[in-house]
Amino acid sequence: MTDILQILILGLALGGVIALMGSGLSLVFGVMRIVNLAHPSLIICGAYVSYWAFKLWGLDPIATLPIAALIMAAIGVLLYRLMFESQAKSARYSEMTVLLTFALAMIVEGFLGAAFTNTQRVTSPDYATDAFFIGSLFIPKGQFYAGVVSLAIIGALTLFLNYSRLGYAIRATTQNREAAELLGVNVNLISMVAFAIGIGLAGAAGSLVSFVFSFFPAKQWEWIAMLMSVVVLGGMGSVLGTVVASLLLSVVAAFVGTWVGATWSTMTFFLALFVILLIRPQGLFGEKPELA
Amino acid sequence: MGINRLIAAATISVLSASTVASAAETIRIGASLPITGGLSVSGEKHKRGYELCNKLINEAGGILGKQVELIVSDNRSDPATAINQYERFINVDKVDAVYGTFSSRLTFPVGNVLSKYNMVHPVPSGGALRIYAQGYKNLFYFQVNAAEYTGKDMIGLLKEIKDPADAPKTVAVVHADDFFANAIATGLLGQKVIDPANDKEIADLAPGYFKEAGIEVVMEEKWPEEGFNDWLNLANSIKRSGAEMIVGLTASAEEAVQLMRALKTVGASAKLVYLSQGAQTEFIEGVGKDAADGVVIHTTWHKDVPFKSTLAGKPFDNADFVKAFEAEYGVEPDEDSAIPFAVCQGIEQAIVGAGTTDNAKMGEWLHARTKEQPVQTVLGNFSWDDLGLPVDKAHIMTQWQDGKLTFVYPTGQFEGVVPFRYPKSGF
Repeated sequence: MTDILQILILGLALGGVIALMGSGLSLVFGVMRIVNLAHPSLIICGAYVSYWAFKLWGLDPIATLPIAALIMAAIGVLLYRLMFESQAKSARYSEMTVLLTFALAMIVEGFLGAAFTNTQRVTSPDYATDAFFIGSLFIPKGQFYAGVVSLAIIGALTLFLNYSRLGYAIRATTQNREAAELLGVNVNLISMVAFAIGIGLAGAAGSLVSFVFSFFPAKQWEWIAMLMSVVVLGGMGSVLGTVVASLLLSVVAAFVGTWVGATWSTMTFFLALFVILLIRPQGLFGEKPELA
Repeated sequence: MGINRLIAAATISVLSASTVASAAETIRIGASLPITGGLSVSGEKHKRGYELCNKLINEAGGILGKQVELIVSDNRSDPATAINQYERFINVDKVDAVYGTFSSRLTFPVGNVLSKYNMVHPVPSGGALRIYAQGYKNLFYFQVNAAEYTGKDMIGLLKEIKDPADAPKTVAVVHADDFFANAIATGLLGQKVIDPANDKEIADLAPGYFKEAGIEVVMEEKWPEEGFNDWLNLANSIKRSGAEMIVGLTASAEEAVQLMRALKTVGASAKLVYLSQGAQTEFIEGVGKDAADGVVIHTTWHKDVPFKSTLAGKPFDNADFVKAFEAEYGVEPDEDSAIPFAVCQGIEQAIVGAGTTDNAKMGEWLHARTKEQPVQTVLGNFSWDDLGLPVDKAHIMTQWQDGKLTFVYPTGQFEGVVPFRYPKSGF
């Protein structure tokens, strides 16, 4: 029983971090129909912000999270204006964003490699490799703090989306872009704000990731498949779905890793992606697409 | 239209002529490396090793009076791209020689291409035995021995423990599902080496180094080659196994950092932690001085080993390499840069020794090396057996002690060996 509880704790701890990594991706798709393949590379940008702040000035990565989020949100505004604004009315907008963001991912990786080399980095505050020991159980402090902060940010985001005027506008744009525009919502501005929030979430996730996983520019390719799995399972565009899917898949992967073998734990994410696309393509919390 | 075509043809002719003239005046060497992608951490360091070596050679007057032109391409850690790039080096760039790529995963397919064109293939990284069992004529491995035989030196180190009764009796072997890591595990666990191309048995390594040494394997686990994040869960399983020795065979230095941080977090304790990677400078930064203390890592190179070698026909020792590297890049080198530097030295000596860039003659010259007349590099002396594996080379066993990477084995061969610290002080 203790073993099961321990595996559950480790799965939830990992899932909390993955939830934040995926929530920005989900939000950006929900509002703007952008399949942002560059999302992990932007998470890595946020991780570098916290890494250098820690290395140069000893600043705790959780303390520098707002800075990383703001910097990345500003970059999000720039990227939106440069890459997506003019394409928003294109009939093949979503398909084009896949190519655009794939190119962006490669550019960001090249830039980070040139600026910081391809050496792996990791931020090492004391708690990153420490744990709370409760009898024979332990809770890893780094993952615990990262998970709590992640869920707090996602909770704040949910409140913002549900109870603020800007949040209403974002949700309206998510649900029906044309109807929102007819009702007077400036969908272009809302899209830009939503994109900036999404990329800001990537920056925030990067700060937390910087002490949970080691990272380097090319690490993005390992993360994108995992993030797409949780976003699709949760339902593209559903932040709540992403959180649930992250926790669920991480816990299942932890049990698979322990009972079946570590080789198969990563497979859990891809198997879930495969199965959900076959039987419920809209995901757990997504809406079934209407047939034309 | 006719005039335009004439101008275009003339331009192409001039450009082609200048390229040919340029190629004739230089020695062109191609290297496909994983500068981006999953293997980029080591790939970039390999690039530095190759570049520094060629810079120093050119400053000293080049090889056979010609400057060396190094062409490095990024294969994005992708085997198919690496194959295409070596094809391009040979057929389009018309290189005179090549340097090998990084990792067994990339070296295995590349070996076939270079063999097809009868090129000398100096391998900086690619220790899996199955690579050398393919019958390629001009393979030359610039490390210690096939990865499957690494356990020999590991067990040799355990014999240095002062009180044999205190030596580890149980071991947990965890490793990446990767060409190189699997190869080391195969030797340790006494499994069969199988050729993936035809399922033919290459070697049966039973009973394995651990069984021979009377050490019981209480856990064996492998993680996928890419995308694995569940390090804490793995570390927890290792902790629960109660193993006195932990052997972590990672595919990259990054994985070594992840594994060590997880072991520290879960409070795993073992008398000895042995890793296949972790001699790199980033390891201590990621893991921390205390957690790293006592960790043993096998390596081919250490900055303090007094290897004697030559570069551009003049003495150029390991200490000279460290100095030159620090002057060029502002950081201390590690083995990921020292190994390709040695490859470059080997090819330079082969061209000079053969008196030509004819790869057949270079290969003959390299095959003719002996213990008395070796290739001399910053990794020590090299001569090879018929398979292309080095003869009489032992791993250097390094150990992190008080934040410094010391070397503790083999004893009695070099100055600078410090006593092996055992048991590990814990996390």
